[in-house]
Amino acid sequence: MPREIITIQVGQCGNQIGMEFWKQLCLEHGIGKDGLLEDFATQGGDRKDVFFYQADDQHFIPRSLLIDLEPRVINGIQNSEYRNLYNHENIFVAEHGGGAGNNWASGYHQGEQVVDDIMDMVDREADGSDSLEGFVLCHSIAGGTGSGMGSYLLETLNDRYSKKLVQTYSVFPNQMETSDVVVQPYNSLLTLKRLTLNADCVVVLDNTALNRIAVERLHLSNPTFAQTNSLVSTVMSASTTTLRYPGYMNNDLVGLLASLIPTPRCHFLMTGYTPLTVERQVNMIRKTTVLDVMRRLLQTKNIMVSSYARTKEASQAKYISILNIIQGEVDPTQVHESLQRIRERKLVNFIDWAPASIQVALSRKSPYVQTTHRVSGLMLANHTSIRHLFSKCLGQYEKLRKKQAFLDNYRKFPMFADNDLSEFDESREIIESLVDEYKACESPDYIKWGMEDPGEANVAAALDSKLVV
Amino acid sequence: MDDQQTQDLVKELVHRLLSAAESGGGRDTGGALRFAHRLLSSRLAPAVLPDEHALAESIKRRLAASGRPDDALAFADLHSKLSVRARPASLWPLLYLLDSLSSQRRAAAAASCLPNLPSAAPPRNATSGTAPGAGGRPGSRAHGAPPGGVVLVSKDPDNIREIALREYTELVIDETEVSEAALVRDVLYACQGIDGRYVRYDKAVDAYDLPDGVRVPRSTRTLVRKLCELGWLFRKVRGFISDNISRSPSDAATEVGTVAQAFCSALQEELSDYYKLLAVLESYSLNPIPTPGSDSGVSSNYLSLRRLAVWLAEPAVRMRLMAVLVDGCRGLRGGAMAGAIHGHAQHGDPMFQEFMGRLLRRVCSPLFEMVRSWVLEGELEDVFTEFFIVGQPVKAESLWREGYLIQSDMLPAFISPVLAQRILRTGKSINFLRVCCDDSGWADAAAEAAAYVGTTTSRGGLGYGETDALEALVVEAAKRIDRHLMDVIHKRYRFKDHCLAIKRYLLLGQGDFVQYLMDVVGPELSEPANRISSFQLAGLLETAIRASNAQYDDRDILDRIKVKMMDHGDGDRGWDVFSLEYDARVPLDTVFTASVMKMYLKVFNFLWKLKRVDHSLTGVWKTMKPNCIVSSPFYKEGTSIRAQFVSVLRKCQVLFNEMNHFVTNFQYYIMFEVLEVSWARFSDEMDAAKDLDDLLLAHDKYLNSILEKALLGERSQGLLRNLFELFDIILQFRSHADRWFERIYELQLRGRGKPKTKSKDTGSWLDGGRKAMIQLAGELFRKMGEDLDSIAKDYTASLDAFITQLPMQQHVDLKFLLFRLDFTEYYSRVSSNK
Repeated sequence: MPREIITIQVGQCGNQIGMEFWKQLCLEHGIGKDGLLEDFATQGGDRKDVFFYQADDQHFIPRSLLIDLEPRVINGIQNSEYRNLYNHENIFVAEHGGGAGNNWASGYHQGEQVVDDIMDMVDREADGSDSLEGFVLCHSIAGGTGSGMGSYLLETLNDRYSKKLVQTYSVFPNQMETSDVVVQPYNSLLTLKRLTLNADCVVVLDNTALNRIAVERLHLSNPTFAQTNSLVSTVMSASTTTLRYPGYMNNDLVGLLASLIPTPRCHFLMTGYTPLTVERQVNMIRKTTVLDVMRRLLQTKNIMVSSYARTKEASQAKYISILNIIQGEVDPTQVHESLQRIRERKLVNFIDWAPASIQVALSRKSPYVQTTHRVSGLMLANHTSIRHLFSKCLGQYEKLRKKQAFLDNYRKFPMFADNDLSEFDESREIIESLVDEYKACESPDYIKWGMEDPGEANVAAALDSKLVV
Repeated sequence: MDDQQTQDLVKELVHRLLSAAESGGGRDTGGALRFAHRLLSSRLAPAVLPDEHALAESIKRRLAASGRPDDALAFADLHSKLSVRARPASLWPLLYLLDSLSSQRRAAAAASCLPNLPSAAPPRNATSGTAPGAGGRPGSRAHGAPPGGVVLVSKDPDNIREIALREYTELVIDETEVSEAALVRDVLYACQGIDGRYVRYDKAVDAYDLPDGVRVPRSTRTLVRKLCELGWLFRKVRGFISDNISRSPSDAATEVGTVAQAFCSALQEELSDYYKLLAVLESYSLNPIPTPGSDSGVSSNYLSLRRLAVWLAEPAVRMRLMAVLVDGCRGLRGGAMAGAIHGHAQHGDPMFQEFMGRLLRRVCSPLFEMVRSWVLEGELEDVFTEFFIVGQPVKAESLWREGYLIQSDMLPAFISPVLAQRILRTGKSINFLRVCCDDSGWADAAAEAAAYVGTTTSRGGLGYGETDALEALVVEAAKRIDRHLMDVIHKRYRFKDHCLAIKRYLLLGQGDFVQYLMDVVGPELSEPANRISSFQLAGLLETAIRASNAQYDDRDILDRIKVKMMDHGDGDRGWDVFSLEYDARVPLDTVFTASVMKMYLKVFNFLWKLKRVDHSLTGVWKTMKPNCIVSSPFYKEGTSIRAQFVSVLRKCQVLFNEMNHFVTNFQYYIMFEVLEVSWARFSDEMDAAKDLDDLLLAHDKYLNSILEKALLGERSQGLLRNLFELFDIILQFRSHADRWFERIYELQLRGRGKPKTKSKDTGSWLDGGRKAMIQLAGELFRKMGEDLDSIAKDYTASLDAFITQLPMQQHVDLKFLLFRLDFTEYYSRVSSNK
């Protein structure tokens, strides 16, 4: 009766990072590319059945759904060494194979049409689990399939499996370079609405930051998707270690999230990881102690979300919660010392309206993956500065919307038929209030926020002015 | 002086001498006469051997040396003439007298002897001066003095002395009824503990004595008494020996130990020496005792009482020592006896030391033999309960802790307590291996140890004084046997695995297992305790094992995990009585005794409760998880209801967050500071443990540190009560929250029920039921707000109390807990704002 988690990877990006994630899990659990357990994988202690199940012939099969509207990526997977890993019944490629054309509305609409097929797969997987904990959705918010169809799936899952957790690993587009997807701001906004309303937890993977990290931290001049995706897979696998290597605490997703997300709307998590390496890249070997790791995790340069905040705003940004998952050989007494040091140096700025602390989960490291460092750490943090990322999305949307650019593509689909753009407005409103709530969390009066006055924006403004004073 | 003639002659001599010197001095005559008589009757003899020849020679030599060789020749001639005529016995006194007179004159101390006599006239020559001692005037009638007189003077003392001696002997015999020889014999008898003819044992005074009726001089009586002390001592020693040895065999078997037997036999050996001496003395005593007057040439090997005193002096010392030992050992046995004897061996006298050493070697040999067979074979060969280790019939599980004890009063001082402890442990280890571990490998270890130490370990090879050898043997045996025992415990009985299993299952280390267990037994445990079947729970336990990673654990370990229902009273829920236990089995139940398991049970119950609280809190979060509540239709309702909704929801979330913060951090504290740290320390000590005692100690330390730090100790009861109060409030919060949110979702559903077209039309509840629904919701929120306020108030009060009490716990380091609970100094701020 493991707390199974079903992974749904949607769209080009979702399938790519999903593939990386499974590769990493296979490595860590000693599962071969064909799903058979490697001979050396005799050491127990890991829980494979959260993410895998065993077929009759002892193959380990990922609890995973591969969904795309165009066949390119999935074909790639099916022609790779890992072709026998997945359950072929769980692969869905649209018959027409034309994709969603980077159009959220197209993805959403197509999702609506094929939802029965997909939900059949989901139900089958869910029925195959003893006590399903929830779903993990891998997608990007910028394109068409991952964002549009992903959005539709989120709504459906929320409706159908309201008691189950829905977590997403959402890739945010690179804002630094001009994207080939011009409608990216529209897609992002519309997806963000679903992420806000229909997901329980969103792990934000910011391509901008991933690129920056690859360039600055890993000294790659022109990072490839594969390289940034390996960063993503590292984060994804590390954030699930406590589920896969049971210990005293944090053995289920809900326990993990309950501490990280005290207020329901603020459920967007940032991640940080150290020490970072990329496949085949020999990094300098550093001394890794618990303190080193925890300190580095608090540095913005290691955070996988870009900080768009201006200095003044940045100084007011606060952590709502932090969970550090430390892997490797760690002496538990070091944790206390490190926390003490961090507090002495005032390295973290926490919210004022409730007690908070850095939580530390110690987790085992896979015995099958050799690393040059003794200790590695992942930080999952709920930080108010993430609102600046949303503001940026909003800003870009506004720019585009003002110009009424590219809206025709959307009007083709039922949701926006008859020039009904209320969906955009509603989404914008929701994202705005999300930004406001994050901002309010920076104030000690958050507890009373949003009650006195019907107009949330006004209150937020009032709070803001108060803060300035 | 009964010889009338002599008296007359003396009288005449005196008269002549005095009248010649001073004519009218008749008044002095009487005094001088008396003086002369006294002189003559005196028995004083010169302290010189009566050797006539030597004296004559010395006179000749002196004459020759003083330059008068012819005088010397003349003297020789005279002397030879005289010796022909006179009796040989009377010649020496004559010569002696002459010699001393001449030397006196030479020293010019003439008037020394007789003040009334005129100063001695110098003799004319050596020949004529043969009798100057008579004080004849020079050239007077001295020459004409009859030679018989001279003879008389020189002969008289001899007679007198003889007479005096005879007189004395007679006197002695007069005073004595018993001859000395008889007394000597009696004393010798007494020394063998036999009553003699005269000397008898007197019970009343508890001594050998001459009866008052027997007439002997006082000095003799004293001497006899003194000598008979030996007899008394002997009696005592012999009495002891016969008490211990010559009993009926059945008696001896139960009463007398081997040590006492050895002691007695050693004593007996000493006594046999003594007997030999007495036999010799007895043979001497047959020789007649020469009377004082009789010649000395008879036999030198006679025994008088005085001689006996000399002979018996040394045996008496020895006997006295034995008697002291015998007294000291009375009523003691075994090791205690050896100890008592050892106490007397610390003596500076080499004779003592040697004697005691001899004795102790004998006495200790059975004891050392016991030690040897105990440390090498684990056998308690102790039928007479003499050993300082005693065994007790106990169950296998308490064999180690209670099976064998050191009797400190049986522990002789020459075995140090440390050594004794080691001896105890070694034998105990062997027995433990034999009884509890069903192992025979120890024999090899013992043999190896014996071989290593060498020959001294053969049976009976160890003796007193070789404590070093004993220690070496014990140390070697202990080292090997302990190592073997540790091997067996670790390898065959996998001690560490079981400790880990206990840590994983009883101390909830195996998180997934605990989670499933809680999931499956949770509903069961909410029932009243008396309605729960432990069989069913056992089944559920098995389910949880199968569902979790525990399934990969060793079946042997899994089979030992059992459900235990504690005693329950009325109103107890399943939660209150459910617990897990671990069946350690022999031999590990020596470590995990019933009382130890009870402590584990206590820890389990506490951790289980903590987990349950944590579990329920997560449940609360799940009911109000983001995608259930964020898009709630109440957000879209009218101002007042919306504000109400937001308000209660926020309150609920904030309260949840605070509780969750507390529970999570408390769990972190338990995990890092309590369990893991204690375990790390225990693990180190476990590896370092050289023997089972070390291991037991390490384990006790481990468990106690967990108990103390987890606030389960005696001294933190107040804090614990407070903690349980907090837990209860949290559980209460959970049950409220379940009801609230059930109601909220129900209302939401009702409002959403009619028009299926969502979100498009925000006023989707515009039907008849809406108003009622809003009203209901308003009421619910109001009630919910009130409940939340009261729960929050209780919680804050309890938490305050808890946090303020924390720093006051002196005995255990709770700094980390406080530090974690108040990481952002939120509570410090709150309390300072008050």
